Amino acid sequence: MTASPPPVDLASEVRRGVAALAGPPPPGRGGTSDLSIDEALLLHSVGWEPVELVSGVSVVSVPWGVWSWGQGEIGAASGAHASAMGSAAGRMAEECTSAGGQGVVGVRVEVGIWPTHVDVALVGTAVRPVGNGPRTADAGHRGSTPTPFMSDLSARDFCLLHGAGWRPLGLAFGSSFVYAPRRTVSMALGQAGQNVELTNFTEAMYQARELAMERMQRAAISLGGTGVVAVVMRQGPMSFATHAVGFTAWGTAVRLGPEGHRHLEPQVVVSLDDARVAFQASALRADAAPE
Amino acid sequence: MAGPDDSGPPLPPDGDVQANELPEAAGRRLSGQTWSSALTVADLAACEAMGLRPVALVQGFCVMQWGFYTMAGAGSWGSGPPSQATGAAGPYAGRNSGASGGYQESWPCPHGIASLDHRWGYNLEQSWVEAAWSQGFGSAYRRMVDEAREAGAHGIVGVVDRAEYLGEQSVVEFHLSGTAVMVDGTGPAPTLWSTYLAGQRLGKLFEAGFVPVSVAAAMASVQMWPNCQTEYLMNGGIGIGPMWGGSAGGEITQVTRAETAVRHLARSAVRAQLGLDTLHGASFAVSRRQSGTGGHVIECTLRGTRVRRFKDFDPLPAPRPTVPLS
Repeated sequence: MTASPPPVDLASEVRRGVAALAGPPPPGRGGTSDLSIDEALLLHSVGWEPVELVSGVSVVSVPWGVWSWGQGEIGAASGAHASAMGSAAGRMAEECTSAGGQGVVGVRVEVGIWPTHVDVALVGTAVRPVGNGPRTADAGHRGSTPTPFMSDLSARDFCLLHGAGWRPLGLAFGSSFVYAPRRTVSMALGQAGQNVELTNFTEAMYQARELAMERMQRAAISLGGTGVVAVVMRQGPMSFATHAVGFTAWGTAVRLGPEGHRHLEPQVVVSLDDARVAFQASALRADAAPE
Repeated sequence: MAGPDDSGPPLPPDGDVQANELPEAAGRRLSGQTWSSALTVADLAACEAMGLRPVALVQGFCVMQWGFYTMAGAGSWGSGPPSQATGAAGPYAGRNSGASGGYQESWPCPHGIASLDHRWGYNLEQSWVEAAWSQGFGSAYRRMVDEAREAGAHGIVGVVDRAEYLGEQSVVEFHLSGTAVMVDGTGPAPTLWSTYLAGQRLGKLFEAGFVPVSVAAAMASVQMWPNCQTEYLMNGGIGIGPMWGGSAGGEITQVTRAETAVRHLARSAVRAQLGLDTLHGASFAVSRRQSGTGGHVIECTLRGTRVRRFKDFDPLPAPRPTVPLS
């Protein structure tokens, strides 16, 4: 067991804080962050602090009509997705660097796939070691490259990853959009009214999956990673393209730090709450039905 | 009325604030013998534990109509790269920069044909819309603060704000509410603080060495009139090169620039309210809507709690992971 920290007299801290409002703000540089107080405290506990809210946006054109007819991969759409993701990530990295950050955590990835364009918006909080200390070997960067790391992991997961000895490197993503070949008229008529697998769609889905996952893993390797955690997948047909399927995947590329993996050794706890007898305010209502 | 030393969102322009505009009935109610609050039971218990006593549920309203577009202060068309204001971060920081009128960019028609189908494109920061939003939010905020002051409060916790269009796209209702609290054991406050936080989260903020100063919020609005090239690309057409707005399969630079600018402008506007303080728990919200033929309005709202450090940070011990047995 570890010794618990002494209890804080919160009321006196509140009075002290409110009294400080009458004076001038302490010297420093203001910043913005979308982290919760829990996340900020967690980051501090592992030696990091938020610096600035950063974002990156890109909108890339997709030529009209590419979704309708063809065979194999819809290269224009896959390329547009990759280009938009890459440009948005690059812009967010630039903002992070100019804000003095060494990485971005909690990146929210918003992707819109439309008939004529793909838009990507990334938003996250740039972070740096507490006190703006020098970049260290375990700071989560890619070797000697000054590129900041990026991760869509929450601050909580970033801290757990850090505690386990792993380092986030960047967002790895891959995508593919594939035509599902149209059935011949005779095949469509023959299958009408039957329980039958539409193998053209199933095969297209598999093809898109393989291409996208391979691209994501290749991106992870190019970032210097050995794996990708918390992969997010989006797959299926697009509402505007009846004979095309898409598969997109992204996650945080990670690499083991120099000291190797550390077992987190979680503590097993038993909650004393009993769901069966938990207090329910609604039970006190006069019109509550007796059980 | 709020004192001039109060922190908070920017005040409406002089003349728009009526002195002592708190309704008489509200004043009578607030000076009554009972208190009200929007806090949950858990948040109420946490606030009591940290010496914050709720005194009143306070609110502020303001309904604003957006003015029509004018060229006044918008600078000249076709000025090329965005204005570069000093003292603000980012290439889109020309907001409220005097004669330049804020962010603006233009994209020429690459075809050199004068017709309805071939036209220049413009990205223009709608500073009058931002000013109206700021005035509406600021007025509602000040009215909420007035009620809290009338109730003798030191601060407002658990602020909730809402801005909704009322039928028309140019009329917006602002509504702010929160629970006014007194800090036990302190005298009258020279400044009235406010925060979106309440309960345990607020307690942790104080414990971590931060005191809330005020809620901070800003809206940025960029109108995008696409040039013919951008419109072709957005409709799946084929472009002729990146310098004219992108090519098929390439980036649509006018849209990307507008989307990027609106985020930078919102952040710059909030940063201008912060001084040396920091914004905590920020939330970014971006909306888009069509405006006129082919035009788009992109709006970005950024809000959060402005906090100030009042003591050195005591780092927590590294958290211990747990696994519950159920």
